This record gives sequence, structure tokens and C-alpha cells, in this order.
Amino acid sequence: MKLPYKWLLPLSLLLSPLAQSQQVDVQDIVKRAELAAYYAGDDGRSAARMLITDAQGRKQMRQFVILRKDREDGGSQDMMVFFSRPADVRDTVFRVVKNTDRDDDRWLYLPGLDLVKRISAGDKRTSFVGSHFFYEDVSGRSTSQDNFSLLEETDKQYVLEANPKDPGSVEFTRYQVSIDKATMLPVKIDFFDSKGDNYRRVEALKTEEIQGYPTVTHSRVQDLRSGGETEMQFRFISYDLGLPDDVFSERSLRNPPRDWLELRD
Amino acid sequence: MADKLIELVTAKRKLVYWGLLILTLVFVAQLPGIQIDTDPENMLPQDNPQREFHNQTKTRFSMHDMVVVGVVNPDGIYNPKTLSHLVSLTEFATGIEGVVQADLMSLANVDNIDQQEPGTIRFEWMMKTVPQTDEQAREIRDKAERLPLLYNTLVSGDGQAAALYVPITDKNQSYAIAQQLRSKISELDSQDEWHITGLPVAEDRFGYEMFVQMGISAPLAGLTIFILLWVFFRNIPFIIAPMIVAMATVLITMGLLIGMGFTVHIMSSMIAIFLMPIAVVDSVHILSEFADRYKPGDEVKKVLKEVMGHLFTPMLFTSITSTVGFLSLMITPIPPVQIFGAFVGFGIMLAYLLTVIFVPAYLSGLSEKTLLNLTQKLPDESQSKLAPALVRLGRLAGSHAKLWLAGFIALFALAVWGISQIQINDNPVRWFKADHELRIADRVLNEHFAGTYDAYLVMQQQGDASADVKALLAEIADSEELSQNTANWLLQQQQQFDASSSLSTLISAIYDKGFELDMDESDRLTELALELEKLESQSKAFLNPAVLNYMSGLQQHLKDSGLVGKSNSLSDIVKTVNRELRSGEDKDFALPDTANGVSQTLLQYQSSHRPQDLWHFVTPDYRQSLIWLQLTSGDNKDMTAVVALVKDYIAANPLPDGLQTDWAGKAYLNVVWQQQMVEGMLDSLVSAFVIVMLMMMLLFRSVSFGILAMLPLTLTITLIYGLIGWIGKDYDMPIAVLSALTLGLSVDFAIHFIERFRATWAKQQNWQQSLKLMFEEPARAISRNAIVIAMGFTPLLFAPLVPYITVGVFLASIMAISALVTLVMLPSVMALTRKWLFGSDK
Repeated sequence: MKLPYKWLLPLSLLLSPLAQSQQVDVQDIVKRAELAAYYAGDDGRSAARMLITDAQGRKQMRQFVILRKDREDGGSQDMMVFFSRPADVRDTVFRVVKNTDRDDDRWLYLPGLDLVKRISAGDKRTSFVGSHFFYEDVSGRSTSQDNFSLLEETDKQYVLEANPKDPGSVEFTRYQVSIDKATMLPVKIDFFDSKGDNYRRVEALKTEEIQGYPTVTHSRVQDLRSGGETEMQFRFISYDLGLPDDVFSERSLRNPPRDWLELRD
Repeated sequence: MADKLIELVTAKRKLVYWGLLILTLVFVAQLPGIQIDTDPENMLPQDNPQREFHNQTKTRFSMHDMVVVGVVNPDGIYNPKTLSHLVSLTEFATGIEGVVQADLMSLANVDNIDQQEPGTIRFEWMMKTVPQTDEQAREIRDKAERLPLLYNTLVSGDGQAAALYVPITDKNQSYAIAQQLRSKISELDSQDEWHITGLPVAEDRFGYEMFVQMGISAPLAGLTIFILLWVFFRNIPFIIAPMIVAMATVLITMGLLIGMGFTVHIMSSMIAIFLMPIAVVDSVHILSEFADRYKPGDEVKKVLKEVMGHLFTPMLFTSITSTVGFLSLMITPIPPVQIFGAFVGFGIMLAYLLTVIFVPAYLSGLSEKTLLNLTQKLPDESQSKLAPALVRLGRLAGSHAKLWLAGFIALFALAVWGISQIQINDNPVRWFKADHELRIADRVLNEHFAGTYDAYLVMQQQGDASADVKALLAEIADSEELSQNTANWLLQQQQQFDASSSLSTLISAIYDKGFELDMDESDRLTELALELEKLESQSKAFLNPAVLNYMSGLQQHLKDSGLVGKSNSLSDIVKTVNRELRSGEDKDFALPDTANGVSQTLLQYQSSHRPQDLWHFVTPDYRQSLIWLQLTSGDNKDMTAVVALVKDYIAANPLPDGLQTDWAGKAYLNVVWQQQMVEGMLDSLVSAFVIVMLMMMLLFRSVSFGILAMLPLTLTITLIYGLIGWIGKDYDMPIAVLSALTLGLSVDFAIHFIERFRATWAKQQNWQQSLKLMFEEPARAISRNAIVIAMGFTPLLFAPLVPYITVGVFLASIMAISALVTLVMLPSVMALTRKWLFGSDK
């Protein structure tokens, strides 16, 4: 039996609004997830402790305080990372201005060399201070860099697939992100290489509600190829502190705003 | 004894045949379980401390076995085409199963660190995209040559070569991986020259060549012996007997070796070719005598009894002395050499047993017709070319005794001088022939790069901060500023604390505890944490600029010596990053002033695409580090010179406090087993010499005859090793192994000569007459045996690997020289000492 062509037309007309509405949905999910993960409150502070474990089980520790202030929700952000441990990198500071329309601006202060340095724009998928996290995992990968589609929707989660718009700029071919419906937080991201192997996983291990904002307090990145991993735990989290703008200045690199870094109440 | 044996074996002939067949089949069944071992590391026992240290170092610094791919273009590799091929191959290699992706190194997947513009720092892929123009390709060159870790390692100094280091998880896959790389390279349509090498590839090829050797040389040896026997006896059924003995001996011995779970190493792969000629020697004696004595119509059993009665003891002794020579190899500390010695020793005794049991049984089963044929076709030895030559030799040997002796003494002195010139050296890569593709790859890559042979000078900080930590905790817990609860908590921590590796955890716990306590107590704990942090920082020796500076000094010294192609260390990494953090110019290629500065520099290095690269140079606790030395030569003598150089440097420039050094790396391990072998071989030679001499004294029931029997082989061995010294051939593994075992083989000639001479003398009681008779049948038998053994080893000359050839050449010449020396030296020495040895003529 041969299917007449005219039959196909109404069928495709029927399908297209469905496809379109799904497209809208996905973008919306992505946007909401981005806001939940990176833009909770107008500003925020948290103390992070990072435990880097290599394939042989040897551990390294990094401890730092992150201060963040949104210039606009879902838009530009200021971010400062003040290292406190190990002692030999104490007072090392990163300053990041996250831009939506162009590359982020990044600066660095190394007290041991008495040096303020600008980090050139470029690849952000490099290791964050030797951990399995990338810079991009800490500041957030811009959602405009990938094309998303809905793979699966369960009672609790949306599972999206993301394909990079510029495959040459990243080491993955695609990734799959699971977003918790209740919090809209991404709870698991699996990265796949060109052979289709899942080689890297970023996961939220623990989520708590802080000042009404669902917040990931324990996360982990696993290198599924070599077996190394990095766990990051956040404590002393607070939002809407009213951080002044001058905290996020070049001056703060050499003169950390001690008051805002004091974790005791 | 011999009579009873003959009675027994001729009566139970069928049983002997079937027994031998079944025994052989049982052991042949073991052969398919063969496991080849080509790892040069196994020259040392598993528990050898240096070997263990080497493997610990490999693990600690995340090092893998590497397949090395080199690309060479005489016009330079910095052109879009070559670089794009390098990128394609790198991408392909990262996708191969069994490749450690994270540690794969090529220009196409390493980071460049530089300043995009003044005041900035940047980590980016060296070749994010393939350069499209020559201009862009040249930029890659400029970048790569600024990075000391890459320069002359991943790209050659002359710009004509690039390398790809492919780490693999399991070296058994090296062949498959190399094959995949090869087929990818052929797809590239490249005009450049590509080479694939690396230790795992070499080992794999080596294993293959070993099979070739066993498959070709051993059967060839069998064929050679068969032809020789035919020339001697001209009767196929007759000479089948020794061939069966030889085959059964080889098959049973190899079956036993494999069945007992031993691996077949380069040494044990030669067992077959050693046993083959040795196994037939006893049979040759029996056949010779039998052929001489048997006359048509004789009762075979009776002739056999006569022959065996004659030969039983000398054959036993020659077998035992040969066995002793091989068993003495078990004294060396090199496991493959021990196994070789043990199994050849076993095989010789087995061959003796098979000979005395099987050969008489076989001969007694031959038909009258065959035996008749034998006596008729037997070539008349007195008509051969050998016979008159030997007679002439006999006349010469007997006539100028003093002159001969003076000549021998002069030769001996010269040989001793030659031995003093011996250069001990080996290089497993040279075990391949000069035109082997791996030798070519090795030569080409070492011409272009700073060296493909690796050695690691590992530096470790000694001591442990545990005691200080515990004391500090106890002290603070004791102070009155803390509440009882907090003090108890601290003491609990103190008890749980076991090693400085957990110091970081302890400090975290103390900080965390502070948040639960009031301000005062918290401050006190913070002070404690800061003190502990000081201890923690002190324990990180390799963040200390003074320590790094020491490493740089040593590296400079190594470079100036010209012995080392290049060395790489943590110090180079720190200097490179520091340069880019500062001006980017050469003047800032220096170490920061403080440990914190170093640590922060490394924090930057770890912010690249490949943070794990740091752990190839230092452990995460910064208490162990290494200097990676690249050598262009794998010669042990060169590595030995480097070890001596470093030792002298450290003696003149003491190491920073608390540091200790040790060597690792294959180039170093080779030196270790070589040293052990040289010492071990001397022990084995001396002990074999003593045992064989005692046996000679026992056999001849005379101290002086015992010493006399040792003289020809002493001169022969000295001469051979003197020759090695004169011609400048390196004293290597095969040469070393030969010394002890030739002793056991060449004494046979002296045994036969003295035994026969004494018998002749007893009959003749006339010196000249005895001597004349000695150079007829007895000298022929000795020469014939020498020829069989020497010729039996010649198929090794066609072997694909150099050590086999060396063994073939030297064994053949030792046998020949030894027979000759025996025939000339013994008469002349006996002539001069005859009154003392034999008393006067009647």
C-alpha cells in the first residue's frame, strides 16, 4: 500500500505545534535551572572545602570562601574566591566578572609572589586549582553555548541532552543533565566523548534549603576514566547579605574584606 | 653394573621403547602451556630491592609503559601537513582501548602557558586547531621551544622530529596497539618518516623473535647434527638412535620447565639448542666404539657389554662435569640464568640416562642386515683429511714441548692482559640486529631527541613530623586555657593521629571544632592549627626554593657533563610558570623566593588542562620528587657513568637536610642486574672450577692428573675472554653466561685424552709409541666430538637476535679451540713432567 502524500500534510501540521511547545519548555527548564543553581538570592557567601582524590587515593585539600553578587538575575555576576588552606596558598584570591555577552573577566592575586595577574580570556574548561572541577563548573557554563533537548521526563526529574554549538571548543561531544523538578537544581551531569563513553560525572550529593533557597551543599566530580574525583562541601552559606560593591574590586585582591570573610556569627 | 644394565634393557626392549614414548608424550603435552617472558626487569628477582623501588617509583609518579611514535621530516615538522597528521594520530590514539588517555603526550594535546598580552597569563591547548599556514605552524614551534618540558622531548631541538608518547595499561596489548597505530599512519598518506618503538613494543618483538629462534635454530641444530652423524657413520637406522635421545631430552626438559610453571625467557629459549649437541655426544662415543668393535657374526649383546663397560664411567664423569658447569649458573643472582642452568643441567643427566638405557636397547634391536651395512659402509677414517692432520699435530705437539709451553705461557699472559681490558657493558636494545626496525627507530629518535632512555633520580624527604605533632597536641591539651571537654577531645585526636599524611585532616578537624566553641577557646585552637600548619609546610620539602635550587644545580651539572641528553624536574616547571607569571622573558626563568611563592606557582600550573602532569614530578605531599634523565644511549656503561657523576656531585655538594636519593628507571635497572651478573658469574666460575677439579682428582685418583686436566680449559677460557678484551667486544649477558658452562663442556676432552693416554701407556710403556697411538683413534674421537658440539651450535648464527649469535660464535670457537689446546698442551706438558707423572720408560 502506498501512502498518499496529501495524508502527510495534516499529520505534520498536527505535530508541529507539539514540537514547538516542547522547544519552549526545554528553554524554560534550562533557564530556571540556571537561576536555581547560580543566582540564588541577590548575593551569597559560602565556605567551601574541596577534597581532591587521585586515582591512587591520595588526597589534597583546598579551602576557600566564595562571595558572589548578581548584577542582574540571570545576567552578569561578580565573584570572589579567597583561599585559606593549605597554608602555603593562603590569601590567594580569584576575582571573576561573569559576563553573558562576552568572555568572563578573571583576575588572580598571588601573595607569595606579590602579583596581581589577569587571566586571559579563553578556555574555561581547565582545572580549577588542580581539582576535577573546571573553572566553568564553578562559575557556571553559559546556557547559550549548548543546544538542549528533552530526553526524558519522570515524576521527579527532567533529563536533558545538551549538544555544544561549537564542538571544537569543548572536550565533550554531548552531556546529559538531570534536573530535580522540586528544586529545579541540576543534580547530575554526565559527559560523553566522541566514542559515546561517559567519562565524567558532576553530581549533587546533598541539597539543603537555606533561607528558602534550595542549595547544593555537597557535590562531586568524578573522572570515570582514571578513577580520580573531587568532592566539594559548602558550609556557612548565607544569602542576601547586602555585600557592598567595593568587595568585588581589584583592591580586595590584596586587601581581603575580612569582615565579610569571618564565618563566625 | 654395565653388564646388568645391558641384560636388563635388551631383555625389556619393548618396555624401554614404550616407556620413553609415553614419558616424552606426557611432557610434550605440557608444551602448549608455554609462557614467554620478555621483560628485562625479570633479570632481577621480584623482591630485589632496587626493582621494588623502581616499581614503587612508577606507581608513585603515575608512570606507565609507553609506546613511542616518532615522526621525522628532514625539512622540518612545523608545516600544516605534518602537524595535522600528528593531530589526527593523537586523536586516534586517545580513542584506542587500553591507552591511558590522560597521560598521552603529544604536541597535539599538551598545554601552552604564555602571556597573550603583557600582564596576563593563559593556559591553552598548544594546537587547539590544526595550523593552516606555514606561519601558524612556525608559531607552534616558537611556543613549543619555550617550554623546557616539551623541547627535545615532544619536539626535537632541530625541528625535524616530533614524538607521541602513548601510555598503555597492559603491555600485553602493546602489539595490538602498535598495529592500530601503524594502520592509522598508513591511512594518513604522509610523506614523512614514522617510527614506532618503546619498551613494550621491543619486548613484544623480542618474544616473537624468540619463537622464531626456537622454531628455526633448534630444528636446524638437529639437522646439522644429523648430517654430521651421517658423515661419520653413513647408516640412517644406526644414527636414528642419538637423534631420538636428543629429541626426547629436549622435549622432556622443555616440557618439565613449562609444566613446572616457569616462563621461557631469552636464556631458557636456548635450552633446546644447548641440549641437542650435548645429548648426542655420549651416543657418538657408543656408536663409534660399537662400529669399531662389531664384526659380522658377533653377538650384539656381547659387543655392547664390552663397549658399555669401557664407556660407562667416563661418560658418567663427562656428563657430571658438564652438569656441574651448568648448575654453577644457579649461583648467579639472575633468575633466568638460574633456570637455564638448572634445566640444562637436568637435561644433560637425562640425556646420559636415556643414552645408557635407550641406545643399547635400540642397537640390540637392529637387524643383522643393518649392522652388516654399517660395517661395510663405514668410511675408513685413516683415509679422511682429519686423520693425517691429527698425526702431524701429534708429531708437532710431542717434539717441541718446551717451545709449546713457552708459547702457552706467553699466550696466557697476553690473555690476562686482554681480560684487564674488558669493558663490561650491555644494552638490551642492541639484542636486536643493527638493521632491525626497532634499532633503526631507536637510532633515528636518539639522533633527533634528547634521548629515549629513561632514568630517574628520586629524592625523598626522610623523617616524619608525627612526633612533633603529637607533642604539640599534648602540650596544648595540658594548658589551662582549654575546658576539660576540649582538652579531652584534643587528646583523643592525638591518640588517633598516626601519620603526617593525615595532618591536613587533623587541622581541618581543629578548625571545625573551633566553630563549636566560645571565642577564647576557638582562638586558642586557631593558634594551635596555625602551629600545625607550620609543621605541615615544613614537611613539604619540595616547595622549598633551596631544595629546588639544589635540583637545578645538579641538573646543570648533568647537562655540562654531556652524559645526559636532558633532565626534567619540578624546578623546571616552577621556573617556567614563574616566568610567564612575571615578564615572560628569560630573566624571569627563576625560582620564587619563598615556599608559598612556589606553592602558588604550582597552583597555577594545576589550573591547566593537564593538572595531573604535576604528579609525574612530585608526590601530592611534596615529600618526594624526581629528576627525569633522558639518555641518548641505553649502554650500561653510560648509565654507570651518570650514577658515578651524581654520586660525586652529592659528595661535593651535600644534599639539603633530610633528603635522600635513590635511582629508578629501566636504564638503571639494567645496570643493577649487570653488576649482579658479573659478580655472580665470577662466583659461579670459581665454584665450577673447584668442583670440576676435585672431580678430576677423584676420577684419576691423582692430584697432579686432576690439575693437568684443568690446564687446557683454563688456557682456553682465559684466551677467549682475553680475546674479548683485545678486540673490544663488550662483556655482556651472553658472554658472561658462557664462562662457567664452557668449563663443564671443554673438560671432557681432557678427560678422554688423559684416560686414554694412561690406558695406552699402561699397555705400551713407551712414550713415543703411546703418543703416536694417541693421535690416531683417540684424537679422532675427541675431534669428532668437538666438531659435533661446535657445529651443533652454528645454527645460532642464523638466529634473529644478537645474544643468540654471540652464544653460537663463542661456543663454537671455545669448543674448537679447547679441543685443539687439549691435543697440543696435554702431550707437551706431560712430556715435561712425565717422570713425575708416569715414572720412567721401561
